[in-house]
Amino acid sequence: MLLIKAPRNQLLQPLQAVAGIVEKKHTLPILSNVVVERAGEMLTLLASDSEIQIRSTTTAGLDQTNAAITVSARKLQDILRTLPENVDVTLDADERRLTVRAGKSRFTLQILPAEEFPRMRGGEGEPVEIQLKQNEFRSQLGLVQYAMAQADIRYYLNGMLMSVAGGQLRMVATDGHRLAYCSQPAQTPEPGIEVILPRKTVLELYRLLSDGDAPLTMRVWPSQVQFLFNEIELTSKLIDGKFPDYNRVIPPNHPKLLQLARAELAPALQRAAILTAEKLRGVRLVLAPGSLKLLSINTEQEEAQEELEVAYDGEGLDIGFNVTYLIDVLTHVDAENFDLRLNDANSSALFTLPGNDNFKYVVMPMRI
Amino acid sequence: MPAIQVLPDLLISQIAAGEVVERPASVLKEVLENALDAGASTVEVALDEGGVRRLRVADDGCGIARDDLPLALARHATSKITSLEDLEGVRSMGFRGEALAAIASVARLTLTSRIAEANEAWRISVPGGELAPAALARGTVVDVEDLYYATPARRKFLKSEPTEYGHCEDVFRRIALARPQVKLQLTRNGRIVHRWPGAAAAQRVAQVLGEEFTGAARALEVQAGPVALSGFVALPAYSRASRDAQYFFVNGRFVRDKLLTHAVREAYADILHEARHPAYVLALTLDPRAVDVNVHPAKIEVRFRDARGIHQFVYHALERVLAEPLAGAASAAAAPAAFHLPPPGAAPAQPRFQRELAVSEGGVTQAAQRYFDAFALPRTGTAPTLAPVTGFAPAALPAAGAALPLRPGAAAAAGAEQSEAEAAVPPLGYALAQLAGVYVLAQNRAGLVLVDMHAAHERILYERLKAVVEGMPAAQKLLIPAVVAVSARELATAEEHAATLDRLGFEVAPVGPQELALRSVPQLLVRAHLPDLLRALLEDLAEQPASRVIETRRNELLATMACHGAVRANRQLAPAEMNALLRDMEACERADQCNHGRPTWVQLSMAELDRLFMRGR
Repeated sequence: MLLIKAPRNQLLQPLQAVAGIVEKKHTLPILSNVVVERAGEMLTLLASDSEIQIRSTTTAGLDQTNAAITVSARKLQDILRTLPENVDVTLDADERRLTVRAGKSRFTLQILPAEEFPRMRGGEGEPVEIQLKQNEFRSQLGLVQYAMAQADIRYYLNGMLMSVAGGQLRMVATDGHRLAYCSQPAQTPEPGIEVILPRKTVLELYRLLSDGDAPLTMRVWPSQVQFLFNEIELTSKLIDGKFPDYNRVIPPNHPKLLQLARAELAPALQRAAILTAEKLRGVRLVLAPGSLKLLSINTEQEEAQEELEVAYDGEGLDIGFNVTYLIDVLTHVDAENFDLRLNDANSSALFTLPGNDNFKYVVMPMRI
Repeated sequence: MPAIQVLPDLLISQIAAGEVVERPASVLKEVLENALDAGASTVEVALDEGGVRRLRVADDGCGIARDDLPLALARHATSKITSLEDLEGVRSMGFRGEALAAIASVARLTLTSRIAEANEAWRISVPGGELAPAALARGTVVDVEDLYYATPARRKFLKSEPTEYGHCEDVFRRIALARPQVKLQLTRNGRIVHRWPGAAAAQRVAQVLGEEFTGAARALEVQAGPVALSGFVALPAYSRASRDAQYFFVNGRFVRDKLLTHAVREAYADILHEARHPAYVLALTLDPRAVDVNVHPAKIEVRFRDARGIHQFVYHALERVLAEPLAGAASAAAAPAAFHLPPPGAAPAQPRFQRELAVSEGGVTQAAQRYFDAFALPRTGTAPTLAPVTGFAPAALPAAGAALPLRPGAAAAAGAEQSEAEAAVPPLGYALAQLAGVYVLAQNRAGLVLVDMHAAHERILYERLKAVVEGMPAAQKLLIPAVVAVSARELATAEEHAATLDRLGFEVAPVGPQELALRSVPQLLVRAHLPDLLRALLEDLAEQPASRVIETRRNELLATMACHGAVRANRQLAPAEMNALLRDMEACERADQCNHGRPTWVQLSMAELDRLFMRGR
């Protein structure tokens, strides 16, 4: 039976949208497959890693009977990607195999029955539904997502806190050493909701959302969340855990204020980073009236020193940081100027944007 | 309700015997130690059926006076100590006065003895206990027959004859190593198995453990104030699959002490594969008052007054000997200076012994002397009937040194009379070529040197990384303190060792009766499982006065870094690069083994090469 006959891109784009979450190695072999399902004129592609599921639809062209199969996501994607751009592709399935035809090329792939594919069905009961704009949501994700932990044993840090309450959409991410916080006005439900999105879900959303102001619908159940945008439906489990209280971590009144231009600070940090010790990545910030020095030394005792002129006339300070954490905020936040607030060598550093209360980035120091 | 009664004497002895006389080997140990305490210079042991049917020990020691014989078999009767002060500074092997009584309660025991002043020997036998005249030139003969005849239940727990004999032989070997100057003979079922003449330590070690061991071992002799450590440690190439070649003596007493074993294991940690066990014969000598030997029924464990200091001392002494690069052994004059360099940045962690630590480079001869001295303990007047140990012939020592097969490098050092032209050739010689992109071939004085270049380079990088990181104990502060559930004991350990933890990068504070907040962690280990790491560290700190958990974990990481940084196989090296590698190896500590304990280089001497071609036959 014929599943689809369409130009290569009409099939490749929705496939790439869903195939990003397919894990290379999975204990459940069928999860390395993608579901290809035809219903009427629509063709649905669906992939899952058992935590996240992405569904994408496209028009299938010819009217045929309904059918569904699963086939290796990676192989199908590799085949389509390497075919010429404008060639017409047909997918044809029998009981055991899927045949891909395009021009003079022909591939037969092994299939597994679609009814064996484990699907996420959305949560129990009525979800809370929130309407957002894709570009706003995406840019807010970009301001915090880099601070998420990766494979930390504190599983709740391997994700991002999203709070929709009191007219604000707040996002917070931390790996225990630094924390990024961002808040935007939004329409919020009553009562508000607060959930932790898994790391992979956040990264996938950031990848799939477009820069336009097209709508984004978010449906939240107690243990699941669903995002609907473009032709895509992304369903994800939520992390069940207690996210640290970010309000206690953001310092309210550090006395030392430095106004820094990214154009100066970022390249200076990048140069100093060259001579930090591998794995340690320590850089010292030495503050004196009118001057901020960046010092680093590596395992071969090679040293770097950078000096920035700053409008500062308070007490001196010598404090160490992991240079990666400092560079991170400068590369991910699109702003010309930053305010840096410090207290003493044992206290955190706070980065904010001048005249903007919505973004905060806290870094803990490192004893070098 | 049964009434409480005082137990009969025999039963008390039999209960005590359960602890003291666990198996024939423990009988042998007790009786042999008595012989040594009596100052014997010759001891003959005869075992029938693994010591169960008959176990006979004859010595030429001071003997027991006729009137003391019945007392010798009584419980809590001894000539070795007389007061609590004596107990606190025990110099003899035994002191409890219960061994013979315990043995007599479970076996037929005959004690025959003659003191030097007496004209005749006397014998006492149990059961019975009648004194009778006997024939004996001097010393004491202890004859134990039908072990456990009185407690048949015990007999059922005995293993086969070969097993029980094996245990007895172990005891015999330990005594032999502890007292090299004593002439020893072991007879099994009427056949002589071992006959070891009194010898210097090096010879005795070769007799007991074989030339293979002494060939692979480095002599060691370190003194720090009243504490001294001497003996032989085998290089990792001679490591064993079991712990069968581990002999540690404290003041001449064989011990299997957790603290000491741990210190040794730590010293080998960096150069020995986990599954392998080091081989060593080590003697620790210290003031008897600084160690309590009365903590274990078989005295196999001891307590040190300054446990932390002893651990550090043993660890550092061994670590230095093992770290000594092959080149160091050959150019001994330059090596000692390097030995005194404290690790950078580790100043607060230094044990108090380290400042006094001096490694002697005297080679085997001095070490043998030291080792010997360690056992020839001066005796004080607690046992006036004991003669001082004699029989030590200084003239035997140089011969001992010469007899011991040495590594080529060490031999050169001991000889020390090389011509200047020869001395100019570095120990690993000069590179000739590269083989298959894997091995570097070099020529040195002895012949051909083959170097595994990746393994060697890996070790060099690893040692460099370690040196640098030790000076940079970076710690990352945590935004949210990690709360770790701990036991009350772990909490107490954390508080007690707060300063040590802080130095390692762990800032901890108790936040509840069973909870610790972790405020900072070592930067190199930020990706580790923090609660597990902290608990492992606390457990180790509680157990061992000087924990090295962090170093170990950190070194694992550095080893990985070194592995990735080292030259890969199939990289063509220029002759200058190969020579630079050889010079780096000579200067690098532990360069003989790669990070996994495999050798980094081998020597093929001219003689070995000649043999391949059947030359000079």
